[in-house]
Amino acid sequence: MQIDSAVVLAAGEGRRLRPLTRFRPKPMLPAGTRPILERVFDALIDAGVDDLHVVVGYRRDRVRNHFGPTYRDRTITYHTQKTQLGSGHALFQAADAVDDDFLVVNGDEVATTNAVERVIETHSRESVATLAVVEGEDSREYAGVELDGGRRVTTLDETPEPGAYGLFNAGVYAFGPSVFSEIEATPQTNGERALSDTLVRLVERTGSVCGVRVDSPRAKATYPWDLLELAAVSLEGPTTDETGAGRETAVADSASVHEDATLRPPVAVANDAVVEAGAVVGPDVALGANTTVAAGSTLVGCVIDQDTRVGENTTLLDTVTGTGVEIAAGVTVPGGPGDVRIDTTVYEDRPLGAVVADRATVGGGATLAPGVLVGPEATVSPAATVRTNLEASTELRQ
Amino acid sequence: MCGIIGVVGHDDTLSVVLDGLSTLEYRGYDSAGVALTGDEVEVAKREGKLEVLQELLSGRASPPSGSVGVGHTRWSTHGPPTDANAHPHTDDTGRVAVVHNGIIENYQHLRDELCDDGVTFESDTDTEVVPKLVAAALDDGHGPAAAVRHAVERLEGSYAIVVTIAGEDRLFAAREDSPLVLGLGEEAYYLASDVPAFLEHTREVVYLDDGEFVTIGADGYRVTDTDSDPVEKSSTTVDWDAEQTGKGGYDHYMLKEIHEQPTALRQSLSGRTDPLAGRVMLEEVEGLTRPEHVQFVAAGTSYHAGLYGAELLRRAGVPASAYLSSEYATSPAPVSKATLVVGVTQSGETADTLSALRAARDRGGETLALTNVVGSTAARECAHALYIRAGPEIGVAATKTFSSQLVTLNLLVEHLTGQDAGTRGLIPALRGLPDDLQSVLDHEETTSVVDDYLGKESFFFVGRGLHHPVALEGALKFKEITYEHAEGFAAGELKHGTLALVTEETPVFAVVTGDDERARKTIGNVKEVQARGAPVVAVTDGVSEVERYADRVLRVPETHERMSPVLANVQLQLVAYHMADRLHRSIDKPRNLAKSVTVE
Repeated sequence: MQIDSAVVLAAGEGRRLRPLTRFRPKPMLPAGTRPILERVFDALIDAGVDDLHVVVGYRRDRVRNHFGPTYRDRTITYHTQKTQLGSGHALFQAADAVDDDFLVVNGDEVATTNAVERVIETHSRESVATLAVVEGEDSREYAGVELDGGRRVTTLDETPEPGAYGLFNAGVYAFGPSVFSEIEATPQTNGERALSDTLVRLVERTGSVCGVRVDSPRAKATYPWDLLELAAVSLEGPTTDETGAGRETAVADSASVHEDATLRPPVAVANDAVVEAGAVVGPDVALGANTTVAAGSTLVGCVIDQDTRVGENTTLLDTVTGTGVEIAAGVTVPGGPGDVRIDTTVYEDRPLGAVVADRATVGGGATLAPGVLVGPEATVSPAATVRTNLEASTELRQ
Repeated sequence: MCGIIGVVGHDDTLSVVLDGLSTLEYRGYDSAGVALTGDEVEVAKREGKLEVLQELLSGRASPPSGSVGVGHTRWSTHGPPTDANAHPHTDDTGRVAVVHNGIIENYQHLRDELCDDGVTFESDTDTEVVPKLVAAALDDGHGPAAAVRHAVERLEGSYAIVVTIAGEDRLFAAREDSPLVLGLGEEAYYLASDVPAFLEHTREVVYLDDGEFVTIGADGYRVTDTDSDPVEKSSTTVDWDAEQTGKGGYDHYMLKEIHEQPTALRQSLSGRTDPLAGRVMLEEVEGLTRPEHVQFVAAGTSYHAGLYGAELLRRAGVPASAYLSSEYATSPAPVSKATLVVGVTQSGETADTLSALRAARDRGGETLALTNVVGSTAARECAHALYIRAGPEIGVAATKTFSSQLVTLNLLVEHLTGQDAGTRGLIPALRGLPDDLQSVLDHEETTSVVDDYLGKESFFFVGRGLHHPVALEGALKFKEITYEHAEGFAAGELKHGTLALVTEETPVFAVVTGDDERARKTIGNVKEVQARGAPVVAVTDGVSEVERYADRVLRVPETHERMSPVLANVQLQLVAYHMADRLHRSIDKPRNLAKSVTVE
């Protein structure tokens, strides 16, 4: 059926992406050179959605300031979730603004136009909910799905055992307006209303949930290294094959790349970014707006966010920076894999060189060991070696 | 200074007129009115903000209707804001209704003449002579267009006028020294003081020139000159977005615009530097070379930007000064061919600044408009135009446009002085500015400062060198939206008089960055006020020892000395905003003020 409206859930902080989310919500982190949320809106608009709703919460000013009231001439209506009480509660904030069937997508996940189109085609007024499912992604992160042979979802399992399912929830939904009463009727868990609980309830009680297979794997930002993966996905040209043909080098008109600099595709260089002489950038590097890569530096597999400066003769591998970071000359990030400590959990052998969060400063000649996180506005003194995470606004002297 | 709109070609004329007025309310909000015309002219008008009129109309069983309509939102110049003085004004028989922005200087003479003919007046306004003159010309047998032309030919002064006449499905308009733009829609046409009034319907715009008459009907428009000869006008497409002028979830436009500053500065800077070569590239003013003298003419906040620009130029060895445009217009400074006169005006329509620029041009000076509005009168009248690219600003208190003015002035000064003015590091500092500003916004700490000093007697702002204009701007922003007494000074001037007013009840905001001689001398001035018991709020980058003498500190990131004023000013914007918010002031529409002052 025709669906004109979509609600994007963008209220969450993204705790596992700290320290990058200190000043902005997860959907405003970069997928390549642009915020994830822009790519979400793009997918929706390209699939024919004209009426955009976004539920904002944590650091909501950042979303509003970036987009304002419209995106690509489509009106954006903002709904505020003042306290983060689950995705169902978030969606509920938009209840008064949508009166026909509508789509729901996550703001921290790059949905594909194809997946959105397939859900729109499949959804009908007979279904309370339709969700996209994708094959074979054997992961504890996503709910396992069983279909009845056709399109009816018979099982939705939020905690799938490894190997138990061949299909998983792909995170693109269509709902009828009655979903709001279903959310209200769903018992709360720990004071929160999760949209997934409502879906499970619908599957179990009504059997009126449809599933449609899509072929695009999920590209979701949950951990810092996911941003490298999101960048790689967004940098790939649509016609990429194994020989690398179709890999793109996208340089904005207002960017300056010195004639003696080397860009190894895929690379994206955004507005007003600068690449100085002798720098070697790529493959898989996204340079955000107004960034600088100084002479003689080498960047491979990096996401360098807006306003960041990388000094002379610095080598960065598998590195994610926030905005306004100052990395001085001769800094080395040898790259992943590394053990990444997030809160109290250590994730071993992750493909991450380092994270340097917003407005942190890394002094000349410093080295960041694989997998370290440097907090926002932290300072690494010159020639220091960072072996463990550095908290926000602290200084490491050595 | 008022906002006017005229519409033909819509079925829902009233709502189009009211929506248009709501976007023009920044131009005045003493009273509002509409007139819709079918076989008769129906007028509704009320003292007060637009919402008062909207309530009146929504309570009516049959609100005014018709295929053409005009609307007006008023900022009083002649006569107090009352129902009678609100526009539209009509003739005795109610056939003709007029909305007007500007001042008719010979209205008393015309009024006396009409009174002698037995015409009676209902209002104190200058405008009311216009419908009476049009009616008299109609009575003399002229057609509608000719009658309007007859009336307008009698007027002296400044005006943008739109006239509606009973039974006519066209609107008649004229412009002289007041802004009026024509919007071209699909089988619908618009006239307005400013583009946002019809942006929802079209982005195709024709800028009208002084002395021109225009007639719009559902089938088209016709522009003629003073001799009644047709004028070919070209249209332009504006790239502003209708929705960009919404509040976007913020409580006030001012707060939204404060938070938009990183984006505004990125736009101001985009493509205008070549960081690889370390140079500024300003294609818009390529023809301009190093002048012998530079004079800035400006009013209000823009004047403070002018002071900053003049100081930058003097540091680069170019004699430069800033003048208040209202003074300059009547007492111009000496000008030669080698003098560049820069008019700084956000709207490009500030009447005093336009007069000052005309005075400079008439004396042979080279003129440059530094403005936010493409196609504005200043941009068209000056030999050169340089745009600050801040995007639309709706809050009456200028915020992001001031920041964009300062940044664009840096670019201009580099361009004029052959790039040798900027010390090393200017380009990286400019490129780092949007993020530095974001950092100030991310660490907002002004609310607690405001709470400490709520209810104090007076507020003083001091700074030296490039921070002197910041002190003046900080005080202006503070007083215009809080209605509390505030004054800004050059730090060293304090002891020459104002120190007598300094007590425990007068917080002093001191802007001190870096640790050069200027900073150390300002710290000396801070000690003077501290010794008198005044609470001190230091706005500082933490380089100097000023914090030792301060009760409260507002931090800005350390940067190039030319960028520090931009950041310090943002802290003072936030102080003003939060103080006004605590006092429940009408932040976006302070009493007695209007955004762009298009009357002298």
